Amino acid sequence: MANFKSRCIRSACLAFLIFAACPSHADAQQVTQGYAVERFYPSAPGAGWFVMDDVNLSGGLGGAISLTTSYSHNPLVVTSPDGAQRLVLVSNEAFADVGFAITYDRYRFYLDLPVPLVVTGNSGTVGPYQVTAPSLNVAQNPDTLSDVRLGFDMRLLGDPGGLFRLGAGAQLLIPSGDRADYVTDGRYGGMFRILPAGDIGRFSYAGQFGVHIRPDEGLVLPGSPDGNELLFGVSAGRKFALRNRWHLIVGPEFFGESAIHSSSRDQTGFEGLLTGRLEKMSDRPHLRLKAGIGHGIVQHFGAPEWRVLVGVELVSHRPSK
Amino acid sequence: MKLLSDDGLHDIVNESWNAYGQFTYVTNWKLAFPADYTNLNGSINSLLPTAERSFTGTATLYLGVKLWTGAEAYLVPEIISELPFDQLKGLGGAIQNSELQKGGTETPQIYHSRAYLKQTIGFGGERVVKESGQMQLGTTYDSRRLVLVAGNFSILDFFDKNAFDIDPRQSFLSLGFLTYAAWDFASDARGYSYGAVAELYWDDWAVRYGRITPPKNPNQLAIDFRLFKYYGDQIELEHHHKIHGREGIVRLLGYRNHEDIGRFSDAIAVWEADPAKNATTCPGFNYGSDNANAPDLCWVRKPNVKVGAGMFAEQHLTSDIGLFARGMYSDGKTEVDAYTSTDRSATVGLLGKGSAWHRPTDVAGIGLNLGWISKIHAEYLALGGIDGFIGDGAIKAGMENSLDLFYSVNIRKSFWLTGDFQHVVNPGFNQDRGPVNIFGLRLHGEF
Repeated sequence: MANFKSRCIRSACLAFLIFAACPSHADAQQVTQGYAVERFYPSAPGAGWFVMDDVNLSGGLGGAISLTTSYSHNPLVVTSPDGAQRLVLVSNEAFADVGFAITYDRYRFYLDLPVPLVVTGNSGTVGPYQVTAPSLNVAQNPDTLSDVRLGFDMRLLGDPGGLFRLGAGAQLLIPSGDRADYVTDGRYGGMFRILPAGDIGRFSYAGQFGVHIRPDEGLVLPGSPDGNELLFGVSAGRKFALRNRWHLIVGPEFFGESAIHSSSRDQTGFEGLLTGRLEKMSDRPHLRLKAGIGHGIVQHFGAPEWRVLVGVELVSHRPSK
Repeated sequence: MKLLSDDGLHDIVNESWNAYGQFTYVTNWKLAFPADYTNLNGSINSLLPTAERSFTGTATLYLGVKLWTGAEAYLVPEIISELPFDQLKGLGGAIQNSELQKGGTETPQIYHSRAYLKQTIGFGGERVVKESGQMQLGTTYDSRRLVLVAGNFSILDFFDKNAFDIDPRQSFLSLGFLTYAAWDFASDARGYSYGAVAELYWDDWAVRYGRITPPKNPNQLAIDFRLFKYYGDQIELEHHHKIHGREGIVRLLGYRNHEDIGRFSDAIAVWEADPAKNATTCPGFNYGSDNANAPDLCWVRKPNVKVGAGMFAEQHLTSDIGLFARGMYSDGKTEVDAYTSTDRSATVGLLGKGSAWHRPTDVAGIGLNLGWISKIHAEYLALGGIDGFIGDGAIKAGMENSLDLFYSVNIRKSFWLTGDFQHVVNPGFNQDRGPVNIFGLRLHGEF
């Protein structure tokens, strides 16, 4: 009996290897799987910018909570290899990200919970690829969370409010949601970032450079990334003093991701945002209101035609003076 | 939170935020049991008579923050992995593990179980201290106050709270002890709803009302947000008392659901008038029965009303031992939409802590859970029909009852290991099947 079982297992393994080694017919239509299209990863609660991080970490035990809502239009457009066909696979995408951060001294732990509100698009055939549009809404998916992010950031160099600060951060992406909805890669992922930032008089700046560790699955959908990506971005803004210690900080943020495996032009998505945030400089818990509007400068995988953002934060750690 | 508080880093009495977590792993073994028939004539909802194992693993993060005076916000992400017996079929209120969700999978699923705002408006009276805990910021309230809640929550967070305020994850395992088995409260397949609750506390009295969303189709995850068309309404009156210095609570609960559900009598009438309209031919949402000679609720779903009323009482007998009982009568005319198939239920139980044997953080309990279905419900099942959970193809209707015994050992500061035994008679309200013996183990931790 044991020999029979062993033979069966060996036969099954051999059959699997033969099947796996067989090339598929190039003519056959290929059905693709979804992946996490969204490339707007909101910064940690209390981090100032929408994407970048002011690394203004100091003081005793503090924290922040945030609610960031975003809508992006046409974040995934698929074009056939010969350029003859074009399909807006994901046409509308709206998220509400809820974040919690705890800060202590120069350290920050945070949790980001992305709630997909709407993800819709168009199904069709592009060249040899048959694709099915996502169809997600709150009524059908009342409790869905897409990839949850657990993060840790720290200020390595520089003083709070100083000319130059250097921070570093890491994030763990925990898969959640359905790949068919184009809200998850379905695998664990990670991000490692270097975070320069500073304040020069009325001006602030921040940047990021890092790597996004993603599954490499041999995705064949044209214009879609596969595997690890480089992260980059920069932001700059000017502070305007208002009444009662309120300040308005206005400036652009540019950010993007580029697939490492292929550096061809359509493996980079690059996006610009014009952002503004209103906050009260205070040692007491205070509100921060944020708004932004953006455009996909290089519109690939997640960099949409346009995007609008609104955020609100309750921050209890001391901002820079 | 207490550690931070002890180090002077957090004000646990008047909290601006808190964070708690839990994990619970439950495994059950069902022994083989006798059954005159199983899934007769293509019906699909029998509990299989073979030995089986089931499990659930859950982990939950409870995040709370104070927004402004009297305003609190809570967000509770959760992850679950589960394997029920027979896809959760074949039992009514005697489902052996209240952690089980409809449609769950062994692949872990993350979701937000709760996201809601709570506003408290004080009207004076005495000051009531609320200790920091899961979904509760450490604070003080007026004993006379109005509490308004809106968002996404479980209605059991506010109504028919568990006996003696013991976390259900440290108490009886069986579903019948989580709340009234006959209360078909509107919710999605996981047991959560969107809606609003208003509570008025007036010293020893409280009255609460809630309107919540039902599922779009019975027992499914998608919900219907048309709260003025389809809804679950409930109202509860609560009184706290003392008898010989021992605390007790009495609650009355009534509910009225207006949902897109089918009446058993309508399903039978449609099928008798036209046998082609049977359980295998309905093009709408159905449970996939293969019984071509049976009626099906799929044909008759339309806006219908379901009502029920129940009573709960708990009484401390000593400082560490308490007795509770609850019972509910629902009309039994329509199918289960969200909770379980039971139409009438009664439970009685005794819960105690281990102070007498110098283990005050251990918990033990013994409880009896009784459930019935209505006459028309039984008639529908006898014709081979099925609902969301039960339907063996035939039935000799009887009271489904289960005995639940557990002992929960506090193995370390915040970890409990529970041993559990359940004896279920007439599973699925069918005297032709059972009894079933189920053993269980539960590991529960909190941080």
